[in-house]
Amino acid sequence: MGKLIRDILEESAGKYSEIAAVKWLKKKDILERSYKELMENVVAVRRGIQAEGFAGKHIALIGVSSVEWIESYLGIITGNTVAVPLDAGLPLEDLTDLLNRSDSEALFLSPKNQALLEGILASCPKLGKIWMLQEETLDFPNQKVESLAELKAASSGDDARRPDPNDVATIIFTSGTTGKSKGVMLTQGNLAENVISVDYTADPGTTLLSVLPIHHAYCLVMDWLKGFSLGATVCINDSLLHMVRNMSIFKPEVMLMVPLMIETIDKRLASVDASIPKKAVADQVFGGNLDIIFTGGAHLDPFYIERFAEYGVKVLEGYGMSECSPVISSNTEEMNKTGSVGKPLSNASIRFENGEILVKGSSVMKGYYKMPEETAKTLQDGWLHTGDKGYMDEDGFLFINGRVKNLIILSNGENISPEEIENKLALNALVGEIIVTGEDNGLTARIYPDQDVVAAKGLDEEAVKSALQAFLDQYNKEQPTYRRITGLVVRKNPFIKSATQKIKRQEATVDEPQPGV
Amino acid sequence: MTQEMEFKKIIAQYCKVKPEEMTADMRFREDLGFSSLDFMSFLGELEDTFDVELEEEDALKVLTVGEALELLKKLQAEA
Repeated sequence: MGKLIRDILEESAGKYSEIAAVKWLKKKDILERSYKELMENVVAVRRGIQAEGFAGKHIALIGVSSVEWIESYLGIITGNTVAVPLDAGLPLEDLTDLLNRSDSEALFLSPKNQALLEGILASCPKLGKIWMLQEETLDFPNQKVESLAELKAASSGDDARRPDPNDVATIIFTSGTTGKSKGVMLTQGNLAENVISVDYTADPGTTLLSVLPIHHAYCLVMDWLKGFSLGATVCINDSLLHMVRNMSIFKPEVMLMVPLMIETIDKRLASVDASIPKKAVADQVFGGNLDIIFTGGAHLDPFYIERFAEYGVKVLEGYGMSECSPVISSNTEEMNKTGSVGKPLSNASIRFENGEILVKGSSVMKGYYKMPEETAKTLQDGWLHTGDKGYMDEDGFLFINGRVKNLIILSNGENISPEEIENKLALNALVGEIIVTGEDNGLTARIYPDQDVVAAKGLDEEAVKSALQAFLDQYNKEQPTYRRITGLVVRKNPFIKSATQKIKRQEATVDEPQPGV
Repeated sequence: MTQEMEFKKIIAQYCKVKPEEMTADMRFREDLGFSSLDFMSFLGELEDTFDVELEEEDALKVLTVGEALELLKKLQAEA
């Protein structure tokens, strides 16, 4: 029988009991949780879920990285219950839609997101309980809302049964090409196999700083689950504002990043006076102990790999997607080729169909939750159609060279469905036709104004642009930073269309006014 | 060096515009080409350099160089 995350965690709790599993900042103090304490809390949450009658159900989590978040997540998946991590930065209406579509019956909510409570209670009738991720008891005038401490206190009686490797452990939402996000169902076996198959080892107590959003498969599986399997100490970056500061506080040896982070750090490296020795600069910017950065989620210019090597930091690029739990291939210290995304993991087979990368193996998802058509399109005879184009060189290294599907991949690793945003922006009367494109690390709205509205309001060119910019500014305020529109092009002519009157997306920039014209 | 110049020098690390060419109405994303993370990193540097503490939610509403400088002055006045 295959391994479970529960087996991996129990082994680590036994072997590394006194080592710090998690460290985090509270004001200026560094707090920590040993593997032994972590396991005790995980078991308490799992037993609490059993006692409250939610074993086997779907339980969502909304919040940024915290020790309470990860203990609750592990309390869910080490029982036979399904965890649904959601992006705390999404607007309320998106979150309630995902809570309802995932059939979540309970929710763990970060105290920082308490403002969402009323709206969630009003729009998600299936939710039987909401546990606030805090140890302090809570005085909230709704019996459905309790604290994590109360859940753990309820944990008397039986433990939850061990899950089966084929049971769904987690549902992770990812952008869909049709404008509706899809819930990727990953089994217990999918997750455990990915943790085991990623070829990286480190000494127990190795310090890892987690800077990616915890609801992302890459962060969740590779920072946290892989980190715990090695007995690493996972440190929490409390805010992207403080990433560099936290690197000097925690002095990490290993980090996972998306290319955007590497690009930003490089700007800081470049701004330091060239006369200062590189070792001193590296100590200041990276904290002094950083050895490896694993990166994935988007294309990384090989320039950065050479550049960071000058400062003594190895950048190892990999490739993955939520549907593959998520790592498919990765460069390693021993086997790497700049520009490639490494060799496939031992549990993944790769083949190509018209240039598209197909993946088969024990970490490939079970399917999309309640989306049989999408599942059938993506999973054919066990082969997952990635939507990425690539090739394998003679040494077995995988290279990515394009996209099949219409998704924008930003350098922060976020996958954006342009249709999803276009549909929302098109509701404004002044927007006649719209195409959203991705460039320079951001999104640009290309808009052809509705000429009837322009005429009726008597707007000149400048007024149209100001009105559209004001509308985008308003839209941006309610969006997580990665979904904000940072560029605006106002077209003078309609978009080029196909015979069926659909805008030709690949020709969206044809016939555009040039800047300053 | 004036505080404003020191402030603009931090901005200049993330873009190609020189501090002396920066104007208050320049937008970080659209005019200076900041990525979302450049902006976060810049805010972190403001905190460390000027010893202020930003509320992330308020800080992310800032769009222009002038608005960021105003926010900094307001926080310093409150400190």
